[in-house]
Amino acid sequence: MRDSVLVLVIEDDAAIRALLRVALEPAGYRVIEAANATDALGAVQVQTPQVVLLDLGLPDRDGLDLIAPLRKAGAAVLVVSARDAVAQKVAALDRGADDYVTKPFDTDEVLARVRTALRHRASPDVLAATLRFDDIEIDFAARVVRKAGGEVHLAPKEFALLAELAANAGKVVTHAQLLRTIWGPGHETDVEYLRVAARGIRRKLEGESTAPSRIRNEPGVGYRLAVAIAG
Amino acid sequence: MAIVLLALVTGAGEALAARGNATDISMLYLIPVIYAGTRHGLATGLATGLAAALVYDVLFVPPLYSLAIADPSNGVSIVILIGAAGVCSHLGGRVRQQARMAQARADRNAALAGFARMLMALNRREELWGLLAREIGRLFDLRTVVLAPDPPGEGGRSLVIKAGVPTITQLDLIDGVAARWAFDTARATGPGSDAMTVSEWHFVPVMGGNVAHAVLGVGRDDAHRPLSPDQEPLLASLLDQAGLALARIAAEEEMLALGKVEERDRLRAALLSSIGHDLRTPLTTVLGMLRAIRPESEAQRHQLDTARGEAERLDRFIANLIQMVRIETGGLERALEPVDLNEAVTAALDDLRRVLGNHAIAVDVARDLPLVLADPVLLHHCLINLIDNAAKHGTDDGAVTVRARTAGEGLTLAVIDEGPGIRPGEEQRVFGMFTRLEGSDRRGGTGLGLAIVKGFAQAMGMQVAAANRTKGEGAVFTLLIPPESLRPVHGVGQGAG
Repeated sequence: MRDSVLVLVIEDDAAIRALLRVALEPAGYRVIEAANATDALGAVQVQTPQVVLLDLGLPDRDGLDLIAPLRKAGAAVLVVSARDAVAQKVAALDRGADDYVTKPFDTDEVLARVRTALRHRASPDVLAATLRFDDIEIDFAARVVRKAGGEVHLAPKEFALLAELAANAGKVVTHAQLLRTIWGPGHETDVEYLRVAARGIRRKLEGESTAPSRIRNEPGVGYRLAVAIAG
Repeated sequence: MAIVLLALVTGAGEALAARGNATDISMLYLIPVIYAGTRHGLATGLATGLAAALVYDVLFVPPLYSLAIADPSNGVSIVILIGAAGVCSHLGGRVRQQARMAQARADRNAALAGFARMLMALNRREELWGLLAREIGRLFDLRTVVLAPDPPGEGGRSLVIKAGVPTITQLDLIDGVAARWAFDTARATGPGSDAMTVSEWHFVPVMGGNVAHAVLGVGRDDAHRPLSPDQEPLLASLLDQAGLALARIAAEEEMLALGKVEERDRLRAALLSSIGHDLRTPLTTVLGMLRAIRPESEAQRHQLDTARGEAERLDRFIANLIQMVRIETGGLERALEPVDLNEAVTAALDDLRRVLGNHAIAVDVARDLPLVLADPVLLHHCLINLIDNAAKHGTDDGAVTVRARTAGEGLTLAVIDEGPGIRPGEEQRVFGMFTRLEGSDRRGGTGLGLAIVKGFAQAMGMQVAAANRTKGEGAVFTLLIPPESLRPVHGVGQGAG
């Protein structure tokens, strides 16, 4: 199946394009390249890439402006971003980007992000039923969370947060998106609520475990449920 | 002049007397008396008064041509003449004295204003010494010499003759000592002062901002006391102005030096940020390619690991360089938000997973600590640098512990290693820039990591501290989080509920 997946790399630096090709092709993806925004928009007219790796620093246009048309064309958009460019990451995610990969690339991380984005894109309803990781099972329909088979009672906001992260499992969701969805418009900056709810979930699901929490915070950006979801 | 007037008045008196009106002639004599009194002082005034009385008595008072006075009213006239002479002389004297003082003041102000104008045009000390010698010599008609330490600055150095009118190359031993004394004590020496009066020169310090910058010597060819007491205020005023000019020149020199430093800093920052970007882009490719290569043998895997490790180090070094430039140039932007320390430590470890490899990391950060108001990105880099530093300087099999504790009203976040620790006295120096490069017992690293931790922490209102473990070997690097940065989590429960 994988060899049919087409990835468009939009990046003005030829070496970085080559690097992403080296990372993606051995994993079975077909790769096409565009060095600027114009070529990229032309490419999505002719072919239909399922995933786009988009560098925001393009010579002819702000890469942020490409996110909406690329999403409209049916592609999952992964933004290629420098490590510290937090504001840029958040802006891209708010405009509909699926996730980001950080320069310098970790090949495994790029592949994991591509896989996650593809799964969410391909079957957005798969997650509507249940999600399992570790000894935890989230039953979305019944709004029930089980740990090692036993039901765990979460506060409504805690469940809402866990459900939102689980629905985007493996993807980062920005603080503002979470706050808007769960607490409503006007609460986008109340990061404190998120911190407290995340603590509640961890306390109830992870207890005193010393393993890194599954509910990861990406500093300044948002939360990610760090699980590899089964296709 | 008084005599001419006296003669004219006498002539007029004769003419009046011929018409038979002799009594008011005495009034006429008041004219020369008042004139002489006001213009020429007491002696001339009184003499004119006496002469007028005498002539009037002899020529017009009966019996004529004799000093005798028949009518007492004529006697009164004579007394009035002499009295008027006295009063007028006194008044005139005061007016003249005031005029003299006004003139002296005007001269002084003119001298000061002229001097100030000349000072304004100066921007070098050497020019100032020349001007002092020349202008003070001219204004007071004296010999002058200016001595200043060479190079300018602290009083410990020797005083050197900077200018003199007429030109002078050497002072007598005693004069040199007097000059030195004036410079060191910032008080006048030589004739007319209370110290070193045997000196031929009268030395006064040239003060600028409470410090003596030079010494001015004034002297006379005949070795008399060079300044009269009434000249001293003028000299003091002139030297005050010279002191102001000195302060201005010093400030200008400082500005110039500062400007050069700033210019250099700007250039350095621009260079570093440009180099940083130019190095990073190709390095991203190198690093990515190295990571993408699948080794075909154990030897290859080892080679790849080494190459990748070094490339990663280079990448961290460049990242640090760029961050240091941001701190140094004030380009740090911070956006504070409530941060969960446990989340922050987890995120840092996640970012460092490649660097840390199998290094044992113990996280002792409770999940119910107060939230910390911090910039999430700056804090993230602080933690990364601290943990990276601990892993690098700890022993290979020694654990790194990240531990959060309440300390008083605040919090501490400590990163503890089991390495050789910090040399005593180096606790502050380890946070300096490039400390590692200068130190002798340091290995690897860029020497910037801890300096960045300090810079970022301070930007968030936190402090850093370094110490050795009290038990066992190893160093402890601590982030001190003040109470005002804490957000206790109770009270927002309804938000989460």
